[in-house]
This record gives sequence, structure tokens and C-alpha cells, in this order.
Amino acid sequence: MRVAAYFARRLATALFTLLSLILLTFILYWVTPSTPASFVYPHSQALSNYQIAHANHLLGLDRPKTTQFFSYLWRLLHGDFGHTWASVQLIDNNRLVSAPIRPLLFEQTGETLSIVLGGALIVVLLAVPLGTFSGTRVGTLGDRLVSWSTLVGICTHPLVLGSLLATYLGAQHLNWLPSGGYCPLRPPPAASGPAACGGLRDWSLHMILPWITFALLYLALYTRMVRASVADTLHEDFVRTARAKGASELRVLRAHVVPSATLRVLTMVGMEIGTAIGICIYIETAFGFQGLGRAAVFAMGGALSSIDLPETLGIVTMITLIVVVGNLVVDLLYAILDPRAGRETSRGRTKSLVGGVF
Amino acid sequence: MKRDRWTVVAMVVLAIILVASLAGGTIASHLLGHGPDEPFPYANAGYGVGPHTVGPWTHVPNTSQTSLDSYDNVIAPPKGTPTTLFVLGGDGLLGRDELIRLLDGGRTSLEVGLGGVIVALLIAIPIGSLAGYFGGAVDAVVSRFTETIMAFPMLLFLVFATAKVGPSLRGIHHGTLLPMGVFSDALLIGIFTSFYPTRLIRQQLLVLRNTEWVDAAHMVGGSDWRILRKDLLPHLVPTMLIWGAIAVATNILLEVSLSFIGVGVEASTPTWGSMLAQAWGTIYSPRAQEPTIWQTVFPTAAILLTVVSLNQISEGVRRALEPWSRR
Repeated sequence: MRVAAYFARRLATALFTLLSLILLTFILYWVTPSTPASFVYPHSQALSNYQIAHANHLLGLDRPKTTQFFSYLWRLLHGDFGHTWASVQLIDNNRLVSAPIRPLLFEQTGETLSIVLGGALIVVLLAVPLGTFSGTRVGTLGDRLVSWSTLVGICTHPLVLGSLLATYLGAQHLNWLPSGGYCPLRPPPAASGPAACGGLRDWSLHMILPWITFALLYLALYTRMVRASVADTLHEDFVRTARAKGASELRVLRAHVVPSATLRVLTMVGMEIGTAIGICIYIETAFGFQGLGRAAVFAMGGALSSIDLPETLGIVTMITLIVVVGNLVVDLLYAILDPRAGRETSRGRTKSLVGGVF
Repeated sequence: MKRDRWTVVAMVVLAIILVASLAGGTIASHLLGHGPDEPFPYANAGYGVGPHTVGPWTHVPNTSQTSLDSYDNVIAPPKGTPTTLFVLGGDGLLGRDELIRLLDGGRTSLEVGLGGVIVALLIAIPIGSLAGYFGGAVDAVVSRFTETIMAFPMLLFLVFATAKVGPSLRGIHHGTLLPMGVFSDALLIGIFTSFYPTRLIRQQLLVLRNTEWVDAAHMVGGSDWRILRKDLLPHLVPTMLIWGAIAVATNILLEVSLSFIGVGVEASTPTWGSMLAQAWGTIYSPRAQEPTIWQTVFPTAAILLTVVSLNQISEGVRRALEPWSRR
């Protein structure tokens, strides 16, 4: 029962986070000077007052702000993400036609999640052995070598690293792996010919380099975390007891030290999934993906002056949903793996330093 | 601290980096006879055929004019043209000196890094102390707010802010000491990275305010303000030093990220980020040309050296001030 109450509370927090971020997006949009009319009249050099008013009316921006907010929420509740502004076309001077956001958003989410989830798996697989190696010999040369060489991954920017990998391992030099583009996991329809790309094999081949890029970036952080956890746990009483009972060092590590370190890593992965999506901007760019991160930058106009509000809102909603679900999954894992969880909230936990910053 | 060999090494390295980026650019351009922004078209050995930027230690014809044949093809410069030395090679199509730009870029990058930390601390210390010391409603509001913001990718906020607010802040600059865009970058990075130290301070004060010496200070009639200032804030110094050293490093990396989105410091101002962005393009036009390996190696190596030494210093400070922590 306590667990149920705990998850109810977590769900309420999640909902609160989602609502506040949508509201924050609206507020940021309202306070930022932008000219949505330029989406409707892309060819106008100087927009007339009529054009601006007309465009605002067609885009629904002349409604009261509360109406805009709540009608967006209402439609979102029905799974309707609205239509993009970037693809808007004015028909007969009185209505707008544009592409719906939902199918596009789901595709982008698929690409980004492919990078993040696969990359996170590789990070865990590499960081746990490396961190255990370091943590069992803190202060030695081997420990330092590991921590310095993993720092190379952080200091080489993911866009640079990705581009280097794509250039040298990809089509231009060694041609070992595809140097870019995304292949959906779903097999292509049989009618689309042999050149069509899709299915598990193509997908994983295209994902290898992005995964490596992602993993190298996060390796330093997670190796350090495993290292700290292992070094701490080695001084615990239960480890001493295990040793006293004659357990071999390998068994002590396997049975008592590594599991708790892995648990901490899993927690961090769940908490930093949002940060990882931000990093994906660069990985997607380097490999020519069309994922959430890149879409977000383009929807916000980047260096341009106009913000595509519905697209931005859709992306914000999606990212927040991913983050919230990620956190919930981690809490669930915790509840299953660590019987002490559920009593204490996750309030004390916070993102890692690099995570909080990127 | 004295026995911590690696931390001493890291401090020496950092001191060298600081001196090199503060004075190195001026000295180098004085010795070599050309400045950071002077283009040397012949630093592209391909003569415009392709981006074959010269590598390290090349003597480049000292002219900003290219000689053309009757078909307007670029040809070798006339015999007897004096040469000038490019110690680390050229920086790309424009053919500027990589070494001088690297040194000058270090100053800009470090300014952004350090400035960001200062701004973040200026925000975090008052807000974090209010939330941690008084608790209650203030704490609830601050905590919910930072939690909500931190749930979302920081980078996207930063892109939004630098793209929309940055241009109006760009005007704040001061000669070569504070190039255009550095102030806005430092300010915005500082604002958006302040959530982390805010939470750190809050957490620490939540513990500290219940200690006996705070009770004692209350008993002798110390005001909240005095207790905060005299008794509690000094305890935050180690945490902030440890955080600050790492944050300078991450801010430098963040500046690189912003350069790649094309919203950071002016593209003409050398920073380690803009040098990498010049080599690899921004996210709007990635890989405009295939850069030479040197254009990637030198800025990355500079960043690596700085980050590793800051990281080591942060570790060393923690070990010196918190001897009870084993890692």
C-alpha cells in the first residue's frame, strides 16, 4: 500500500512537471518577440498590419492566453499535437493547411531514443568493468590512466567525435560502417525495392557509430561513479564479513560490490535521459539523423527570429514525457531491486554535475 | 595538499595555460610578426583547389594577396616573397595562424568559463541560502522550480536564451579584453547552470542549520543574517571551490556546444569552440569542408589539458579539505 501511495505521489509530481514545462514554454513564447505572421506570409518583405492580424487570427494567437493554454492541453489530452507552423500554407486567403505534428514527432522520438537507449546500454556495459577496475585500486597508475583516458571522451565534443568517426570509419575512408542516416527498426514494405533500408540488421549497423559517440561522451562520468561506489562499498562491514568468511575477492566483487554500483548507474541513466536528449543535437547532426534534439533547435528558430510554437510545444511535451517515464522506470527498478526504496523519496537525489550542466 | 603530487602538477599546468592565454597571443604575434586575424591565402597549400590547410611548422608566403594567372587561377607567389612561420599551421580556408588563435581563444574560453561560474554563484548563494536556511515555503518554491527546470535538457534552454536574448546583450564588450558575445555567453551560461550549486548549497544548509553551534549563535542573540554570513557561509567555501573548478571546465565545454549551434561568441572571435566550429561547421551546415586533423587536435588538446587539470585540482581540493572522504 505504501508503494502504491508512493507511486501516486510520483505520478502527481510527474504531471506537475509536465504542466509547468508546457506553461513555461507558452510564457517564454509570449515574452519573446517573434513574428508568427512570417510563417503565413513567407514571401512578404514587410508585413502589413492586416497581414499580422490576419495571421494571428488564423494561427489562433488572438485568443486569450488562458484559452490558448487550456485548449492546447485539452487537445493534447486527446493525443492531438496540432499542426506545424513551418509547413503552413494559406489557402483561399481564409484557411491554413499544414502538416500534423504527431507522426513526425513519433519518428523523431524513435531516432533519438534509439541513440539514447542503445548508447546508455553500452555506457553501462563499459563503465561497470572499468569503474570496478579503478575502484579496486584507487590512487594507482592504472586508476589514473582510466580516469584520464575517459576524460578524452568528454573533452572531444560529440559533434567532432561523431564527424571524425563518420568520416574515417564511414564511407569516405575505411567504409566499415554506414557513415550516416537513420534506418527504421521496422522492416521496409516489400514493395519498396532492395535499396530500401530498415529492419534490425540495417538499424543496428547504422546505430553503431552514434552509440559509440554517445558512450564515449558519458563514459568518464559513469566510470567515475562506479569507481566511487566500488571504493566506498569495499570499506563496508558486509564486505569485511564476506572476506572473513573466506569469499574470494572476485566473489566479493560480484556478489556484494558490483550490484550496488550497477544500481546507482541505472538510477543515473534514468535521471539523465533528458540531458542525453540535449546532447543528441550533436550526435544527430554528425550522423544526419532527424531526431528530437535537432528538431527542437530548428523549431526554436536557432539563430533565426521565429519560433514554431506548436512544434516546440510538441517536442517539449515529448522530452518531458520521456524524462518522466525514465524517472518512473528507475523508481520502479529501485523498488524491485532495493527493498529500502519506497520509504524514502527520491528527493535527495539529483543529477550529476555534468548532467546538471549540459 | 603538499603531498598531492598530481594536484601540484595540475596547478602548474593550469598556471601555464592561464599565462599563455593571457599574454601568449600578444607575445606570439609580436615574435612571429602577424596577428590573429590576418589572413594568409597561401596557408592553404591547395591554392584554392581544395582546403589543404598547411600543417604545423610551415613557412607561409607573407602576403595577403594571391597571384593569379591569366585564367584567374591561383599560382605560386612571385620568387623572393618573404615567408612567415605558422607554428601550428593554418586555421582553415582563411589561412590564419592557428597558434595565435589558440592562445587568444584560450583567453576567451576561460573568460566564459570563469564568468559563468561567478554569475552562477551570485545567483546560487542567495537563493540557495534562503531555501536551505529558512526552509518552509521558500524552500518548497525554490526546490520545485529547480527540479522542474532540471528535468528538461539544459542545452535547449540555453539555445533558446542565447538565440533570443543574446543579441541584445552582445553590445556589452570592451576591446580585446572582453570580446563581443563573451559577456552574454557567460551571463546566460551562468544563469542556466546556477540550479546545480543552488541545490548543493540548499542541501548543505539544511544539515548545517540544525547543528549545535547555530543554536548557540541564536542563543547569544545572533540575527539570522549574521548567522548566515558569519557562521554558515564560510562552511560552503569548500563545496563551492570543488564545484567551481569542475564548472569552469564544463562551461568551456558548453561554450563549444554553443559555438556549434552558431549562437555563441561572434564567429570571428577566436575561442576554442569557434575554432572547432570553423573546422566542422555548425549544426545548420555540418562538415562544410573536411578539416585537417590539426584543426581538430589543437583546440581539443587545449580543452583536454584545461579540463583534466581543473578536474584534478577539484579532486585535490576535496581531498585536502575533506580528508574523511576516501575517493
